[in-house]
Amino acid sequence: MRRREAPPLARWALRHLIVGDPNEALDGDLLEVFRTGRSNGWYWRQVIAACGVSWCRSLYDRGHVLVFALLWSMLSPVWYATINGIEVFERASQTLGLLWLPLALIGWTSLHAIFLWAGLLIYLAVHTVLGKPLQRKDLRRAFCIVPLVFPPVYGATFLMANLYWYSLPGLAHAKLAATSWGQVSDLGILPLLIRFPYLVALLVALWGTICRVGYDVNPRFVDSVAGWTPTEPDAITVAPMPESTAIGRFLALMVVAGLVNSMIVALLLCRLPESQTASLTSLCLRALVYVASGVLGGIAGSWLYWKSPASPLRGGSPVPFTLFALTCAAGWVWVPAMMLFSEQVSAATAGAAMIGAFTLATGLKCATYFVFTPAQPQTPQWERGELFAESLYRPPFELHGYVIALGLFAAVVALASRSNYTAAALLAMSAFVFAWKNTIPRREAVEGKVQLKRAVIRVASVAVPAILLTLWALLDGVAHRNEAARARAATKSDARPSAYVAPNPKASFSESEIGGYESVVLWPYPEKKQIMSPLAVDDSMLSSETKRPLIIRFDGLYWFLQPPSKRPGLDAHVAQGTPTKVNIESNNAIQLVMDAHQKLSRAIWTAQCRQIEIEVENRDNKAGLVSLGLLLSDEDSSSKKTVYLGQQPIITTEPGHFFFKTKPVFETLRFSLSANAPIRKFNEITVMFLPDIEHTFVAPKIAIRQFELFPR
Amino acid sequence: MTGRGYLGEFELMLLLAVIHLGDEAYGVPISRQLEKYRGKDVAIGSVYAALERLEAKGLVDSMLGNPTPERGGKAKRFFRITKEGLRQVHETRRVLTRLWQSIPDLKLEAPEEIR
Repeated sequence: MRRREAPPLARWALRHLIVGDPNEALDGDLLEVFRTGRSNGWYWRQVIAACGVSWCRSLYDRGHVLVFALLWSMLSPVWYATINGIEVFERASQTLGLLWLPLALIGWTSLHAIFLWAGLLIYLAVHTVLGKPLQRKDLRRAFCIVPLVFPPVYGATFLMANLYWYSLPGLAHAKLAATSWGQVSDLGILPLLIRFPYLVALLVALWGTICRVGYDVNPRFVDSVAGWTPTEPDAITVAPMPESTAIGRFLALMVVAGLVNSMIVALLLCRLPESQTASLTSLCLRALVYVASGVLGGIAGSWLYWKSPASPLRGGSPVPFTLFALTCAAGWVWVPAMMLFSEQVSAATAGAAMIGAFTLATGLKCATYFVFTPAQPQTPQWERGELFAESLYRPPFELHGYVIALGLFAAVVALASRSNYTAAALLAMSAFVFAWKNTIPRREAVEGKVQLKRAVIRVASVAVPAILLTLWALLDGVAHRNEAARARAATKSDARPSAYVAPNPKASFSESEIGGYESVVLWPYPEKKQIMSPLAVDDSMLSSETKRPLIIRFDGLYWFLQPPSKRPGLDAHVAQGTPTKVNIESNNAIQLVMDAHQKLSRAIWTAQCRQIEIEVENRDNKAGLVSLGLLLSDEDSSSKKTVYLGQQPIITTEPGHFFFKTKPVFETLRFSLSANAPIRKFNEITVMFLPDIEHTFVAPKIAIRQFELFPR
Repeated sequence: MTGRGYLGEFELMLLLAVIHLGDEAYGVPISRQLEKYRGKDVAIGSVYAALERLEAKGLVDSMLGNPTPERGGKAKRFFRITKEGLRQVHETRRVLTRLWQSIPDLKLEAPEEIR
């Protein structure tokens, strides 16, 4: 008779989704009742209820932490605005040059941490006044955690905000209030985004200061053993703490910390050589230095965590740090190559990440095998009669197989859509899980010296191909850059004396074989037999006597950018064409921003114009709403004032009106201009294309035809 | 040591079940007792959460048993009521009894005038 087993996924959820340490007794109780004949549905209901109860209890216990973090983070926009107002940063960046970036990062983190540390001190003071002082160890840990948590959360928030800059309503034009009280009381999208990283950092720091009275830390538990004899007197023992789990988690944290540090070092240091004709020797040396710096950065990151006050390994570790660092170094050597490939928007990024993750997992599994594996191998316990009942081999359920397969499938999809970072993360995850599950470490225990020797040999043997891959990335990058420079030189040879560099007709998109550009400027083809703007503004059209509109044919520029850039850089690719005839898309998973700019030869007074109509030509056959935002600016004024006239949807892109177009559709959008606008005149019209998620990475095939300005 | 001087309904039921089961009081029989007398299903997770709360208040003690094969190698956690817990049960019973004695006999049907 085969014993019934509970659903594996439900058991996994019970062990990992409950807050705090896994409740062994609850696990056993559920299994005991399940084996009396309860259904899988009953087991699932019990697991969901247990998880829900534990989460609610945890939140209830930390309610005051949540309230305090919310209140303190409400003040953060004031601190943020104060830091942003410090002008010493700009002066220092000019003085310090290359050293500026790391120093600025440290200074910036410290400044923000000061605000969070002040919050922690106030929290401590309140607890002391209320007669509930916090433990010194917890406080020390909270103070250390704050500067470690804040930068990555801030970075992630900043990245997400930039990705959805135009999708989140009101974000594109949000500004902090001028007064401190206004900044504190403002619940707009921008202050909320600013508050978010402060809130998360405070919550993470203070979460651990609340020690829940659990079974394993209750001193009465040990006291109660004496003098109490239940029905299983000789069976009662005190269960040990699951130390290997805590150590395993911390080792995993250190691997991640080292990886992040190695990536930061690689991001800061790994650059292509300035010289266009770099010698092979210099590139080899450069590759060697990059790989060494990546490894040293990773080791430094792990060492910081190893020695931190919160580390459970300070009192002694089953794996010496030297062995751990050497094992991880076999994975970190691939980071510089990965970063160099990623700067070139190359699919080889994913390949380098996969190799690195595989090497890292195999090394870690071998080095930590004796830490996490029981001393005695587990053998199957055969019950009487079970040997004959089991006539066929039943393969065990392996969840990791599904994870690897899904990861590989998603990585291929990501590569096809040119999302190299996503593909790299998925392939690395799949390779890590595969290597971790399938590596068979040596079962015999070996001496520490022998293990170290093996680790050194392993790093040395892995470093050679890693250096070669980094060298390849450098060679490929230099070749790519030289090709791009040649194309730019060819484009700029026909430069015309204008505010913008005129495009070379040969540098069209269809002929270009270069992989990508930082930004693109499109210059529309002039239509034949038409008077081109900037038109000489006929004053009579907007005079008080006439009602005739002023028509301005669009002949400005289209800008295609990626946040945080606000205008095309010096290396922008300039080409001739209109958005309806070229395909422009993002190939690095960062949102594409599209603007149209029309400069006027003479400024127009806002008091004379009551409405602006924009005629657009829509040839877009990708479903998804596109709206236009209109911005008028006075470039001649010293403060370069602007006024935003709001946004209007293009009706033919709305879900109910979308259809496949075989010929262009023309549409007119109307924007009202108030007589009380904050600017008195304008000489530039900017049309912002505000797409929905469907057009986040692909520029819509919509062009501006003309503007009509109606007099008051 | 105790946060308040009275027990909630579910807490009182749990303490009575622990007293009734004696040395056999662990998660499964406790929840079965509750199911038997309440007439509806009980989530074992919520039983443990409430017992944890009672343990934090010092009303029960707990200790682990040895792992057993029928429970997948997991140990039982036995619970025992403390002196403080027993005192609070008696106190709650005394209050409830007095309250009930002050109320005349109640019928299950609603009174005529309410209908």
